[in-house]
Amino acid sequence: MKPVWLIAGNFLREQRWPVVILLGWVVFLTAAAGFSDLRRTPEDVFMLFQQVAVYILVFSLFFGASAIRNELRTRRILAVLSKGISRRQYIAGLLLGIVLAIAIYCLALGVAGAWVLPQVGVPATRFGVLLVGLAVASLLTACLALFFSIFLHPLLATGATLLIVGAPLLVEVVWSSPWAALIPVYAILQGFLNLSARTTPQTAWLILLALGETALLWLASGWLFSRSDVALAVE
Amino acid sequence: MAAVLEFEGIRKQYGGWFTRRPVQALDGFSLSVEAGEIFGFLGPNGAGKTTAIHLALGFMRADSGRGRLLGRPFGEARTRRRVGFLAENVALYHRPAAKLVQFYGGLNGMGGARLGRRAKEVLELVNLAADSQRNVGAYSRGMLQRIGLAQALVNDPELLILDEPTSALDPIARVIIRELLLRLKAEGKTVFLSSHLLSEVELVCDRVGVMHRGRLARLGRTAELLHSREQSQVVARGIEGSAFPGAVAGDGVVSFTIASISQREVLERIWSLGGEVVSVNPLKRSLEQIFLEVTQPGRSDK
Repeated sequence: MKPVWLIAGNFLREQRWPVVILLGWVVFLTAAAGFSDLRRTPEDVFMLFQQVAVYILVFSLFFGASAIRNELRTRRILAVLSKGISRRQYIAGLLLGIVLAIAIYCLALGVAGAWVLPQVGVPATRFGVLLVGLAVASLLTACLALFFSIFLHPLLATGATLLIVGAPLLVEVVWSSPWAALIPVYAILQGFLNLSARTTPQTAWLILLALGETALLWLASGWLFSRSDVALAVE
Repeated sequence: MAAVLEFEGIRKQYGGWFTRRPVQALDGFSLSVEAGEIFGFLGPNGAGKTTAIHLALGFMRADSGRGRLLGRPFGEARTRRRVGFLAENVALYHRPAAKLVQFYGGLNGMGGARLGRRAKEVLELVNLAADSQRNVGAYSRGMLQRIGLAQALVNDPELLILDEPTSALDPIARVIIRELLLRLKAEGKTVFLSSHLLSEVELVCDRVGVMHRGRLARLGRTAELLHSREQSQVVARGIEGSAFPGAVAGDGVVSFTIASISQREVLERIWSLGGEVVSVNPLKRSLEQIFLEVTQPGRSDK
């Protein structure tokens, strides 16, 4: 387990600037909301939180899509994989690193929400449940992107992930089908995107479904990555 | 002696999917590296050296053939805990050297005070103790190569695989690394050294293998390879330099090269001319000559 944590910590360290930038954005938005007259502009406050939620999802997508490629491009992956760690552990380490980044974002957003949102009629506990949903949806998105990035260029992996994550939205809009929840990123995120004083959080089974799919994708990614050549021909 | 690294009929091809022309990197490659030796792995660019190393470490899979690392099939994570590896064009994370070495040691399951002590030890071994708190991002290329070697040594490996370890080093650092390799050998470790620096290989390697077009084209003990069985160097005195074709006179002696098979005949001729034989030795060649002989047969004759 130690190597997995080391890889995760290292991933977070390597991605420290995106993490710091988004954290700075959360702090800035919170401060902006804090200094404004919240009760007169609740819609603006909701919009700010929705915006940050989408940013967290997008950052997770990019983390997932670029994690392996960055290591390959810099050739740093060779020194890591020459040690006594399996490919599955390596993938687990990257995913844990992404989980840590998402956790930091969600924690910051949670602190900001706990201070700001009760003033506009959203109880902190209800917002907490929404945050858990956001974290799980972001993790599933990152895991999908990581899976695709094993055999696709990061840009294509990003496109493929967006297609898979966005397909349920199309299904719901066109056919109003319950199959829209098959990849529940959009279904879970709806709670955040419709954030208001009357928002009801996503149901627990959607979160459990997303967690189950994340676990399956992790296993599939580990299996696939252990069968991939990581070193390109250098000669 | 037991083999610590074995390749048996390995084939590996790159590309071939519509756009790229397929390249046969390894074509029935076989080799066995014995425990406790320093093995020099030579070959021109594109001969398949790095591919062979990457296969051994499980970075990629062979199309066919079999390989064993420390007695286990290639690709097993647990086996790699007993191996140290330094890649060509070393690429490491930018963090203080001591922390970096500890990070790589941690990936091999090491930890606690033992890891701290070992990291300090290997940094001293590669002469970087004074710079252990500096960020590796600010290191020169030679220092990077040495910190790369330190991370490869942190787990006290039984087998050390080095891909061009001295390419960016100055002469003093090269001597340090050479002495380090000999010290590791004295401790019973095996070193698999891929290098273009033939003079270095000549100095430290017990055996040498020369790769050419994905195959092992020459293999043997360094001393045996460097001394030709086919040709001998004769030094004589008391004869005219013109008596033998290609003879060179100087310091009162005449020296020339002969085919070993005609040795008796040549010696009798020297005596019949009233000369004296000073020495007859197998012709000493350089590794560079052998390398060219294998990889560019026409050029080596010139």
